[in-house]
This record gives sequence, structure tokens and C-alpha cells, in this order.
Amino acid sequence: MPECVWIHYSRPRPHWYALGKDEQVRLAESWASVRGRSEAGGALRQGSYHIRGQHDFQDVEIWVFPDSQAAFAHWDGLCAERYNEFFAFANNLGLAKQGAGR
Amino acid sequence: MSNLSGDTDIFSSQRIDGGARRAIVAFTAVRQDVFDGVYTQEHRDRIVAMFQALDEEGWLLSLRRIFDRDADPQAHVLETGFAHDHDIAGIFEAPDMDAALAGTVRIEQAGWARLFRTEWLIGPREFAPVPGSGAPADYRWGFIALWEWNDDWCRASARERALYDEECDSAFQGDLELGANIAGRHRLDLSHHWHHIGAWEIEGPEMAGRAIAGHESVADFKFTTSRHIVGRSRPLKDLIEPRAFSRQASLLGSTSNA
Repeated sequence: MPECVWIHYSRPRPHWYALGKDEQVRLAESWASVRGRSEAGGALRQGSYHIRGQHDFQDVEIWVFPDSQAAFAHWDGLCAERYNEFFAFANNLGLAKQGAGR
Repeated sequence: MSNLSGDTDIFSSQRIDGGARRAIVAFTAVRQDVFDGVYTQEHRDRIVAMFQALDEEGWLLSLRRIFDRDADPQAHVLETGFAHDHDIAGIFEAPDMDAALAGTVRIEQAGWARLFRTEWLIGPREFAPVPGSGAPADYRWGFIALWEWNDDWCRASARERALYDEECDSAFQGDLELGANIAGRHRLDLSHHWHHIGAWEIEGPEMAGRAIAGHESVADFKFTTSRHIVGRSRPLKDLIEPRAFSRQASLLGSTSNA
């Protein structure tokens, strides 16, 4: 299968702000660990960008994964660490286009 | 891949016998064939041939076939224009996620993109189909529910979520007793803001109304944001005929100054 781009929009849910600093750090470290595992597995993290000025969400992350299963494993890993409970999100998954032109 | 929430009395995880999870390919689509000559009989025939190829590759091309593998294998979709701002919607099931993703590109390139502006919703199956009470009926109407858990669900305790699942289960039991066939549950969250999709076979919009009233009575929607789609099942090939452009319409659509 061709590689996949994964675009991830996010913003903190209200109860994220009510967490203590230690708990926020603990969760953020667990998510960083998931991201690190994905990168070690061949995923390319293009970056994280602030978009609050023009969007319902706060940040957008852009990743390139070797295939859709790798993208799903990444997202599933974040969900297992309750990321989706503390951050609202919208995702896109796109196959790399094959061949030249449109 | 794990399920986003656990099995309930009504819903159980789809058994995976060594293979990949099957993937739903749902969509809403708006016709955009406003210019003569852009979408032709040739494109229509290529779309029909593409769906025949997908059938041969193991796709299920109608809600009906998810419940009855002996049903007509031709693609069937829902006519939705009477109630929605899209003309058709549909539920297909691909052998796996990769086939689903690639399949949408193949469908679009066969000529579909010329005819429709489409939102595709793709994701793997979590729960197995549940037929309604009595003999599963071929109703020829469909109901699609898209939903996402809201901030209150995300903040709720495990105990509160378990109680909520029990309440929703009683509403789903009511749906089954009305006779609705429920095509399980699929995840959409990898590639959308919706978390889940459910699709039902129903007798008509009245059954959907009665069923949703049952869900309201158990406060299903206190923890979710939902979008519901209802439509009548029709063979896809009957809904993708090229338009007959009148001479006047052709002139209006022309960029020529002649």
C-alpha cells in the first residue's frame, strides 16, 4: 500500500484544564512515548502547528505513515492512553497519490 | 486495533478469524452534473463495472448484504434528497481498511467524481450485526447514525459510562423489538471527527422516529453529538443515469459565445 498522510486537529477539552500539573505532565509523557514509538517504527512527524486563529481547533499535527495500519496503531496507542478523552479532535487519512498529474 | 468501548448485552465484538477487520465505506453525496458532456453514459458504465469488480473482490455493496450474504450483490444506496442536503447516502463494507481507502479512489476515478461531490466515511468494524426481532426483514429503507462522545462523556467516570451503556442498551433493545436490523458498529475516529457509525435497516422514517424517541427517553444524547440520515434503498445503477440536458440548458451551460 502507498504511504499515508495523517492530519490531526486537536484542542484541549474543558476538563483538561482542571487537571493538576503533575497529572497533565504524566499524561503528556505517555503520549510523547506513543509518538516516539511511531517515529521509531518509520513514521515521519512533519510537525505541530498552531491554528487557533482560523479554526475550531487549536493545533494541527501532520504525520506520514508507511501505511494505514501504522497510522491506526499510532492513534490506537494514543486512545489507549486516554488522549481522546482530554483532547477533542478531527482526523484525516489520505493515500499518497500515484503517478504524475491530477 | 482495540474497540473504543466494551461489549454490551446487545453488541459483541466481531470475531476476527486471523484476517483483518472489515471496513465500512459510508458516504453522503451531492449530484454536481450541471454541465452537458461532463458525465456521460460511458462514465456511468465504468462506475457500474467498478462496483462489479469490488463485488468480486469481496465487498458488500448494500446494507441488505451485511445481513444476508445471499441477497442481490448489486450496489444499493439510499435516496436521501427528500430529507437532507445530499442526494444519496450509502453503506458498503470492504475487506479491510486498505481496500476501503483505495476503493474510494478507484470509485472516484471511474467517473463518480464527475457526478458527485462526496464525503466518504471509512473505518473498521467493532461490533457484529444484530438482526431485529423475528425474521430479519428486507425493509428497503435505511437509517445511518454518526456520533461522537461529548466533553461530558469524556469527563465521566468508568462507572458513569457503564451505567450509560446499560441505559443505551435498553434503547437498542427497543430498536430490535421494533424490528430494526442493526449493522453493528464501526469506528470512524482515525479519519474523521465522528467517533462511530451505526446503520440500520428500517421499515421507514416512522420506525426511525419511534426508535430515536426511545433513545431520547434514556438520555442517550446527554453524552453524544449525533447526526442521523434516513433514506430509501434503490439500486445504484438507477440513480446514476446521466441527466437529459435540454437544448436550452445545454446553451446555458456552454462557455461558448456562439
